[in-house]
Amino acid sequence: MRLLIIEDEPGIAGFLKDGLEEEYFAVDVAYDGKSGLDHAMTNEYDLIIIDWMIPVLSGIEVCRQIRKSGSVVPIMFLTAKDTLEDVVFGLEAGANDYIKKPFAFEELLARIRVQLRSKNQGDDSLRAGNLNINPGTHQVFYDSLEITLTPKEFALLEYLVRNKDKVCTRSRIIEHVWDIHFDSDTSVIDVYITFLRRKLEHAGCGNLIQTIRGVGYIIRES
Amino acid sequence: MSLRNRIAFYYTITTAFLIALVFAILYFMVESIVYKQFDEEINNEVTELFTDAHATSHDFTSFSRFKTFIDDNIEVKIDPKEAVKVDTEFIQLVNIEGEVINKSINLARNVLIFKPGETTMIYFNSTINNSAIRQGQLPLFNRDGIIKGYLIIAVPMKKAIIVLNDLENVFRFSFPAIILTLFVLTRLIAGKSIRPIEKVIATAEKMTQPNIHQRIGLPFHHDELYRLSATINALLDRMEDAFQREKQFTADASHELKTPLSVVKGTLEVLVRKPREREQYENKIQFCLMELNRMAQLIDQLLMLARYESNKMNPHIQEVSLPIALEAATARLHPIAFEKKIEFKITGTEKASVTADLAMLDIILENILSNAIKYSHEASVVTITIERQERNILCSIADQGIGIPEEKLHAVFERFYRVDESRSSGTGGFGLGLSIVKRLADIQQIKVGVKSNKTIGTTFTLTFPSTAS
Repeated sequence: MRLLIIEDEPGIAGFLKDGLEEEYFAVDVAYDGKSGLDHAMTNEYDLIIIDWMIPVLSGIEVCRQIRKSGSVVPIMFLTAKDTLEDVVFGLEAGANDYIKKPFAFEELLARIRVQLRSKNQGDDSLRAGNLNINPGTHQVFYDSLEITLTPKEFALLEYLVRNKDKVCTRSRIIEHVWDIHFDSDTSVIDVYITFLRRKLEHAGCGNLIQTIRGVGYIIRES
Repeated sequence: MSLRNRIAFYYTITTAFLIALVFAILYFMVESIVYKQFDEEINNEVTELFTDAHATSHDFTSFSRFKTFIDDNIEVKIDPKEAVKVDTEFIQLVNIEGEVINKSINLARNVLIFKPGETTMIYFNSTINNSAIRQGQLPLFNRDGIIKGYLIIAVPMKKAIIVLNDLENVFRFSFPAIILTLFVLTRLIAGKSIRPIEKVIATAEKMTQPNIHQRIGLPFHHDELYRLSATINALLDRMEDAFQREKQFTADASHELKTPLSVVKGTLEVLVRKPREREQYENKIQFCLMELNRMAQLIDQLLMLARYESNKMNPHIQEVSLPIALEAATARLHPIAFEKKIEFKITGTEKASVTADLAMLDIILENILSNAIKYSHEASVVTITIERQERNILCSIADQGIGIPEEKLHAVFERFYRVDESRSSGTGGFGLGLSIVKRLADIQQIKVGVKSNKTIGTTFTLTFPSTAS
């Protein structure tokens, strides 16, 4: 899952990036409204966190521009503006959620996971057949057997399961699992897929990840 | 009493007084015309009598002739059935004692009133058998000019009195009606003309802090009410502006306070989520301490600003040597100036003493000088000039720095204003320093000016009030 943080205060952007990366998110940071909007337009993000008061373009303006482009990416405002009018104004500009500063990191994390839930998903846990993924604790179970994964392997598996029954192209996987500092050599995906398959096979669910030749990979529910 | 009723009341009282006066004058004029006519009639009668009696003037020798003449003459006209026939004239002759010598028969047993002691012809009102009459009383003289008796003539006034009474009644009954109508009408008109005031009141009543943006609709005519409304609107504009600035300040202050708080809280929360290396802990704790120091600094400045703005400061104004104060301020700032290789040059150092609060002056100088250092290019000179201009002392502090764009110059004294909008810039201030300078300068009546040029740098000028001596 790849996130964009648009925040001009380096201290806040810093700990958000650190904390979220520890949660296996790929995180990009933009320090002003304009570069934030550029990032949002060129890359595909699973969620964007925007501070309201940022230089060049305000957070509200960035949010409006993103929505105008037709994007439905979840947007969260993170701001010190805390009056009722501000909250309503922010949400009406197209944001999905609004968190007031100062906030608890755990709450932010929980709210990010809520935004990442799909429509028919009651809680945060993800399933594909007998495979069960808990993004909160980073645990993966096959039946009742736990599979230990590295952060990157986990992020890759999480992305595939979230998009199950859909073909995930290599470029999309790169976009959503790795951050902007990674050069887009897609062969690294094949390496991680191999690692993943080996661990899954060891647990007894061998051919969960299928290759679509020349395109990418898919996990099917059945 | 409402304004509308009061206007109507005063107006009505004044008008009532005037109407009463006009009515009275009218009444007395009519009355006097009526009496004059009767008096005329009496005079005619007298002349006629004298002519008929072949008497010349008021001659007493003719007196006996009158005695016979009156009875002969008048009797014919009298209807014997009526005791007193009041619509004809009455004639009566009295001697000097007032005893009736002769009288016309139509008087029957009645006697006309006699006023003794009169020496000229007099006219007066009286009654006979409860009927109003007008009497004339003419003295009669003998050859030596001594009054020997009086000729009294009376004419009935019945019809005239009815007219006068009618007139009086008309006035008496129409007066309250007119006054009442007038009051009602004035009240209506007053109500109409003060309706714009009602509108002003209604608008003002609706105005509370959240919707102070409402304005009073201006009336069509450019009259006093127009001016009142316009003045109130202008006042509201200024108030709204002040509210807006206060709101902006609160928003800025809360942002500036919450940001470091969020940074520290978030950093520590992320830090304790997992066990880490010692070095990582130390790094993050160092970082948090830095943020906390910055926050403490901000709180100090905010408190200072709050204290100065509450106007409870009593500056201890005294004679202060400006060069010495500058010397001390530059010495304190030497470490950071040294780091950027910035040199202070103080020129025109005459023995300039100014009236100021020493502690406040120190804060002013330190803030301006540290700004000069902050925005100067490395290895440049900050020139401080002290000069005397007429009775004032001017102190200008000029840097060779990045300058302030013309369009932002006016806002530098506003709280939380920073020319460089990105707070992440390395200069690290809060935008409160110059607000504090301005406030402190105002308290001491020091004028602060600023001019700037992108290529030359920024110059701040302090104009001190002239010393009392």
